[in-house]
Amino acid sequence: MAKLTKNDLHSLKAKYAASEKNWIKVGFSTCGIAAGAQKVYDVLCDEARKNNAEIEIKKCGCVGMCSAEPLVEVNVKGLPRVFYGKVDRETAIEIMEKHVCGNLLVNDRIYDVKVN
Amino acid sequence: MAKTVFIKDTAITGKDRTRDFYGLFLGVLREKGLDTTIQLVRLADMGIYSAGIAVRVLPDNHLYTQVGESDIAGIVESIKTGQPYQPRLTKQASTQMRIVLRNCGVIDPEKIEDYIAHDGYHALARCLTELTPEQVIQEMKTSGLRGRGGAGFPTGMKWEFTRKSAGDQRYIICNGDEGDPGAYMDRSVLEGDPHSVIEGMAIGGYAIGASKGFFYIRAEYPLAIERIEKAIKQCHDNGLLGSNILGSQFSFDVEIRLGAGAFVCGEETALLASIEGKRGYPSPRPPFPSVKGLWGKPTCINNVETLANIPVILFKGGEWFSKIGTETSKGTKVFAVTGKVKRSGLVEVPMGTTIEDIVYGISGGAMSGKSVKAIQTGGPSGGVIPKDYFQTRVDYESLQKMGSIMGSGGMIVMDEDDCMIDIAKFYLGFCVDESCGKCAPCRIGGTQMLRLLEKISEGRGVPKDLEQLAMISRAMQKASLCGLGQTAPNPVLSTLNYYRAEYDAHVNDKKCPACKCSKLLSFLIRQDKCVKCGMCFKACPVGAISGNREKGYVIDQEKCIRCGQCFEVCKPAAVLRQ
Ligand SMILES: Cc1cc2nc3c(=O)[nH]c(=O)nc-3n(C[C@H](O)[C@H](O)[C@H](O)COP(=O)(O)O)c2cc1C
Repeated sequence: MAKLTKNDLHSLKAKYAASEKNWIKVGFSTCGIAAGAQKVYDVLCDEARKNNAEIEIKKCGCVGMCSAEPLVEVNVKGLPRVFYGKVDRETAIEIMEKHVCGNLLVNDRIYDVKVN
Repeated sequence: MAKTVFIKDTAITGKDRTRDFYGLFLGVLREKGLDTTIQLVRLADMGIYSAGIAVRVLPDNHLYTQVGESDIAGIVESIKTGQPYQPRLTKQASTQMRIVLRNCGVIDPEKIEDYIAHDGYHALARCLTELTPEQVIQEMKTSGLRGRGGAGFPTGMKWEFTRKSAGDQRYIICNGDEGDPGAYMDRSVLEGDPHSVIEGMAIGGYAIGASKGFFYIRAEYPLAIERIEKAIKQCHDNGLLGSNILGSQFSFDVEIRLGAGAFVCGEETALLASIEGKRGYPSPRPPFPSVKGLWGKPTCINNVETLANIPVILFKGGEWFSKIGTETSKGTKVFAVTGKVKRSGLVEVPMGTTIEDIVYGISGGAMSGKSVKAIQTGGPSGGVIPKDYFQTRVDYESLQKMGSIMGSGGMIVMDEDDCMIDIAKFYLGFCVDESCGKCAPCRIGGTQMLRLLEKISEGRGVPKDLEQLAMISRAMQKASLCGLGQTAPNPVLSTLNYYRAEYDAHVNDKKCPACKCSKLLSFLIRQDKCVKCGMCFKACPVGAISGNREKGYVIDQEKCIRCGQCFEVCKPAAVLRQ
């Protein structure tokens, strides 16, 4: 890539901040990885493909709720942004089928809700 | 957005009533024909505790606590109108504030675009194009930021000293050694937002006139190292490190050095020796590193969290930052809350938040059925703060007054099962292990103190031992060469101060009130209470329990190792621990 200038920073910011897509983030710091984030990530990717879901699955660092890892944040338009905690294979499948494809939040698995 | 209603029983004790209440609520929604338009969700955790049944309605953002069955109709009505249901409405003071952790869990740490999209490198650009190094330092002084590595030295002043020291070459170092047991804030920042630390270093380099920086990261943090390596490479590719950064006259580069896991190498002079390839021994100050540091050149050493604050300060201004926190301590502090706490993890709060808010409000208090006894801050260099003092507002001065220190941010929660002598012994044992052995007060004093503590916890203590502990402590504080030895007695002194009665019980009565010190314990099966289930028999790891389901069981005191497993598994509490 070419060397950036100050103006490039501004245009890059505008370019990347604009995305409106639905997304899922999986915590990929030591705490998340140790708790099984990679498996959860793989299941989510598989299920997204199977369900033909319009969703971007991303990796991120630790949000701080280490005791609830693996942690998966889900942002689907029209629904509150939530964090699913202690996610296992079953929950990952439920998240994809119910939440992402069915617009229904999954019971008993949410550890935090983004307010505002 | 359609309405969503979240439900959770936040009571810590008793049966979880979330499901029952969910059923009732759903019944009312069905009755009113609203169950298809309003989504009802049971939560696993709501982030509030001991507030009865809690209900949160989004997007209205109304929070209700201590909700009873009779409130359901009112709440459902309010959801329809959008007006809050007053009787149970609760204001939720948001106590967390994210400056250091602003991007952790938000961006992909391996993508520089993501960081840039979140204002990354904008502060560096501002410094390079709009501010002179002196102005950057001024901005830092205005902000009031103090070092987060433990000592709390004002960062702006440290930068100024380094800039003003004569030298043809200067260095800036990021201290990522993080050796405190229980602390992992720095690891999380390095892993979750590596670019913010690099940007902080580059700004620091510009301010002090350094063209070179070093990351000193402990080798036990392989993922942090990998992410920093990737981030550095991305910076090179994009002209954010190297020569003429962002088209300016400023050139700056960084390298990584790995620490081999010695606690003392987090101490700045030992760290310098380690980077130079020497044994990690501390050396007397002065001269301070800002005058004579790495290879004899002026060097500024900053902690990871300190550096992660810098881009925000230079982006939003020192003035903005100085409005957060207390008179003497500005900004926020990240704590790694661990131990016997419900929701362990990282917490970032403005300075001046009470310990109570952190331990109970955010972290949910003790694990079920127990009560919190105290916290330990500052790791092996800090001290305990008993529950009675949890109204204290955390800042550098207040914690010091309490006989502890802010430290780097470890906050270990202890409950009624924790013995303070045992805690003091643990931390002192850590310092004895980690003492580099260069100076006698730390090397010999620490070992002597540890012996005394072992003696006390084994029931061989005499009253004079307590005086002796205090005496050696003073000698170590005064005469040790570096911070390790100077602060190693702190856990002993603070527990002696707050929990003298516990020490006395060990020494005079040969009893451990928390039932932790195994040499002072014995376990007995009360035949009147025993139901002969055999659980203890199965649990005993050394076969000290004999008997069968007809005759009952007895513990052989000779064989018993006092691990307490039988006590833990006994449902009818027939195992007596004394
Ligand atoms: C025994 C000992 C261990 C230390 N370990 C660390 C550490 O792991 N990380 C750290 O940033 N500072 C540590 N320090 C403090 C450093 O010496 C130094 O004060 C700090 O890195 C300065 O950065 P700051 O001004 O940003 O806080 C330690 C100090 C002592 C005495």
